[in-house]
Amino acid sequence: MPQTFQLTITGQVQGVGFRPFIYKLAKKFGLKGRVGNNENGVLIFINATTKTANAFLKNVVEEAPGVSKIQSHSFREVPFQEFIDFKIIASTAEHQINIPLTPDFAVCDSCKQEIREKNNRRHGYAFTTCTNCGPRYAVTNKYPFERTNTTVNDFGMCPACTKEYRDPEYRRFHSQTNTCIDCGIQLILQDATGKDIEDNQEKIIQKAADLIRKGCILALKNTNGYLICCDANNARAIELLRERKQRPSKPFAILYPSMDRIKTDFEVTSEEEGMLLSPVAPIVILNPKKRKLDLKREQIAPGLQRLGVMLPSSSLLTLLMDSLNIPIVATSGNIHGSPIIADQKEAVEKLSDVVDYFLHHNLRISFPQDDSVIRFADNHKIINRRSRGLAPNYLEQEKTGGEMSKILAMGAHLKSTFTFVPNSNIYVSQYFGNLDNYDVTNRFGQSIFQFGKLFETEPRTILIDSHPNYQSSIIGEELAETWKSNIVSVQHHKAHFASVLGEHHLFGTEEKILGVVWDGTGWGDDQAIWGGEFFSYEKYTMQRLTHFEYVDWLASDKMAKEPRLSLFSMLDKEEVDVCKHKFSETEWKVYNQMLKKNILKTSSVGRLFDAVASLLNLIDISTYEGEAAMLLENLAQTYTGKDFIDFLEGEKYEWVHIRTILTKMNESMVAGMSREQIANSFIHTLALVIIKMAKNNNFRQVACSGGVFQNALLISKLVYLGKKSKIKLRFNRILSSNDENISFGQLCYYQHIKNKICV
Amino acid sequence: MPILDFDIITLGHGSGGMLTNKLLDSGVFDLLSNDILDERHDGAFLELHGKIAFSTDSFLVSPIFFPGGNIGELAVNGTVNDLAMCGASPKYLSLSFIIEEGLPVKDFWEILVSIKIACEKAGVKIVTGDTKVVEKGKGDKIFINTSGVGTINPKANIGKKNIQIGDKIIVSGNIASHGMAILSVREGLEFDSEIQSDTTYLNHCVEDLLNNFGTDIHLLTDPTRGGVATVLKEIAEATAVGIEIYQKNLPIDDQVASACELLGLDSLYVANEGLFIAFVSEEKAAVILEKLRQDTKGRNAKIIGTVVANHPKQVVLESAIGGKRVISMLPGEQLPRIC
Ligand SMILES: [Fe+3]
Ligand SMILES: [Mg+2]
Ligand SMILES: [Zn+2]
Ligand SMILES: [Zn+2]
Repeated sequence: MPQTFQLTITGQVQGVGFRPFIYKLAKKFGLKGRVGNNENGVLIFINATTKTANAFLKNVVEEAPGVSKIQSHSFREVPFQEFIDFKIIASTAEHQINIPLTPDFAVCDSCKQEIREKNNRRHGYAFTTCTNCGPRYAVTNKYPFERTNTTVNDFGMCPACTKEYRDPEYRRFHSQTNTCIDCGIQLILQDATGKDIEDNQEKIIQKAADLIRKGCILALKNTNGYLICCDANNARAIELLRERKQRPSKPFAILYPSMDRIKTDFEVTSEEEGMLLSPVAPIVILNPKKRKLDLKREQIAPGLQRLGVMLPSSSLLTLLMDSLNIPIVATSGNIHGSPIIADQKEAVEKLSDVVDYFLHHNLRISFPQDDSVIRFADNHKIINRRSRGLAPNYLEQEKTGGEMSKILAMGAHLKSTFTFVPNSNIYVSQYFGNLDNYDVTNRFGQSIFQFGKLFETEPRTILIDSHPNYQSSIIGEELAETWKSNIVSVQHHKAHFASVLGEHHLFGTEEKILGVVWDGTGWGDDQAIWGGEFFSYEKYTMQRLTHFEYVDWLASDKMAKEPRLSLFSMLDKEEVDVCKHKFSETEWKVYNQMLKKNILKTSSVGRLFDAVASLLNLIDISTYEGEAAMLLENLAQTYTGKDFIDFLEGEKYEWVHIRTILTKMNESMVAGMSREQIANSFIHTLALVIIKMAKNNNFRQVACSGGVFQNALLISKLVYLGKKSKIKLRFNRILSSNDENISFGQLCYYQHIKNKICV
Repeated sequence: MPILDFDIITLGHGSGGMLTNKLLDSGVFDLLSNDILDERHDGAFLELHGKIAFSTDSFLVSPIFFPGGNIGELAVNGTVNDLAMCGASPKYLSLSFIIEEGLPVKDFWEILVSIKIACEKAGVKIVTGDTKVVEKGKGDKIFINTSGVGTINPKANIGKKNIQIGDKIIVSGNIASHGMAILSVREGLEFDSEIQSDTTYLNHCVEDLLNNFGTDIHLLTDPTRGGVATVLKEIAEATAVGIEIYQKNLPIDDQVASACELLGLDSLYVANEGLFIAFVSEEKAAVILEKLRQDTKGRNAKIIGTVVANHPKQVVLESAIGGKRVISMLPGEQLPRIC
């Protein structure tokens, strides 16, 4: 006796080919019914017996499309209604949207094959996508994910595309981003002044490739925003790009034509390969092979061994790289800390002094995103930047809701993100950048507004960092006033700690957990700049245990930009002359004077890295954020010996003595120890600090967060030492360990520590 | 300096008794003598016509003597300039001291002389005043309060409500000099050459502009504490307009700029004393600037920004190397934000 069952599937199930998959599965089962998207996910009605319905659901869960992520599934019997066929029906969203936002997916192999096939109708078509691939979040205006709710809707489907869209047997059945050369997305090749230089669509990519090969700099609009490209083996072109971008040494990423080519140039582990080939298609930081490469490495990443490498993430990039067949520099299309550009007019306005040519297209981008950046420390994944392909879903959390929803967490300042909980899902935005920059602030604010509209929700509670001058705190207060929401501030390092606890679902743990939060700066509860913190977490309570020795914070933001100042402040009085030669006479007098009267103190480990980098004469004045730490890690990684020194050997651990570390390092320098060994031993010392701190205070679990934990060597050493001493170490794994995780950490702190919500 | 039989000021000098009389008689009154003050009544009898501006300010600065001036001069110029910013011609000032026991009479006298000279230069009279002495530790050498009145220039119409989209923003001279002068002395910072405070009276210079350009001058304000950034941000918030400023146009002395750089300070937030900002009509901006630059007080004047319709309430700095920076009100000191 046939009954009617309703199946509800929630999770990342829209824009991933879920309905066509259900359609085909229903046909296979010979079932009649309906499938549609609604505000909660995918809703299926079938006429079946209980047994068949069960079997069907089991198949749905087991065979779901690769890019989908099912969070929950349920089925129940509903009043009988008879269906005569199985149909995909248009979306109905009658209530507030409560589903994940589908991230962008890199072009899939089937689509790649089609654009390369001579006689295929998508041969050479730069916007080829299917139900498994293509932009999603980037083109979203509204939800559910239907063509009419995306910017692809600017282009009507031609008859051929419509046919594909309607054909249940075809890969593009209900593919919302389906277009072809006849539908209207157009490439536009222009010179620096914004004048068109090629009309023929079929010749544009070839011509763009020629320009790059000739040594020109090209701004290219990918589906997530502009990239600036040039030949990676042309030193003059790269130097020119550095000069025009006024970016003297910050490393550039390189786009490779194929996995094989990457493998000839780099050591690639299976994890790294898997990541590069995944639908995220991020930039992965790789170790080059020890031989001469056809890359101008000194221009691409001055002073650094490892390079950021990626594969084409879109059909457009695939076609370009097929045509070029050489690695190219591919860096975000922006200027000076401004956000990635995604609009043609803006690109011409802002980049005409930087590039020689533009390759635009006329598909609008709703949510521009940078490329994500990932690296590995042995098998441990480190997210350096979470953006395209990873944002904005946060699926790895138990559903929240009720009192604990309608929350907006504003994050930090330099690596800004926001976290929004409009309903029972958590959304962690992509990385926006430094909020000092007006355009970043604007995009940050605008995206918050877009999210508010997408979910038709005004937050009841806004969470901000306790630093009063963070732009995110200032905007948060303004928003709170507009929306009449509560405002709660969360201390920076507590938020960092809470982010790892949240990622690993540790709030309910019985055992106490040591929190190690090391970063550059954050406003502490005692009016000092924190950054080398140890916390204890137990039963929904967090406490600061101890911290790195306080030293003077001098000259405001300048200290973070000049590693020599950190060295000056951290050296013992007796030894400070070691760095005198790094300063002019006036500077020396002035800073000595400032030191006498200074009140502001810091425990920053980020600044300790700066000081050590300066001591080892790697760098005295930075040109980009994180430069000193990167150079130091790079040097330490070149040490091949096994003779690691503990510069804190025999010291007590209730307090970490910065001056002792520097004194011992200085002695080793004088004694003629190699810089490589000293650098490596420094990181070894820091890893030991954590292990000893845990052992001496009887912690068996340690959670680490903060920008310092982007350091792959530190992580490797910690993982090794942790295993040896049976201490469980936890790091951020879904989010970045730097300030990108602050917004999520604020949320976790608010829910679990402030409000003691138990999980 | 009168001959006195004491060389530091003690509590007795402020108690209304003999010592005070002696100090005031032989000191303040003699030196600042004028027809109104000489009446020595409980208050001053003034004759003023038309619209009046009235302003008050207290001055606490450490150190009290600094390169380019002292607290006395500052106290006169401060109130004179506040009145000038209302479009008024300052006429009469009150002057009150709170002196910490132990201040050398010599210092007090020097301050008084500076007050006298500053009044003469600005063309104002001290017409009433007061002196109190507090116990050691309850003050910081000397605090001065001045209040003043002046008559509004009939051609002037100064007010935030007059600001219009397109208005040009003129700053009358080099920024950040006063703050950096104070800071270098206070922190004992030695630079290659001494930085001088810019404290001065601006009333004549402003009057001249008002007489020539009247209502084309929409708003006048002096960027004292908190510097140019804070003042502009306050105006943007109060009037809900946007303000754009251009880093490459900001006038600043090289020495001051490198001192700011050295200390990691943003010159836009550093205090000024002898400086004003004018919001002027777009059409007249160029001629107003030209006129201002003929005055010694305005010879370094520059157009530094524009009132825009974009980003209401926001002040945005277009940086010299490209990119725009949000200028916010600093609730406290300049704290590091960089991670
Ligand atoms: Fe941080
Ligand atoms: Mg004042
Ligand atoms: Zn595909
Ligand atoms: Zn088509």
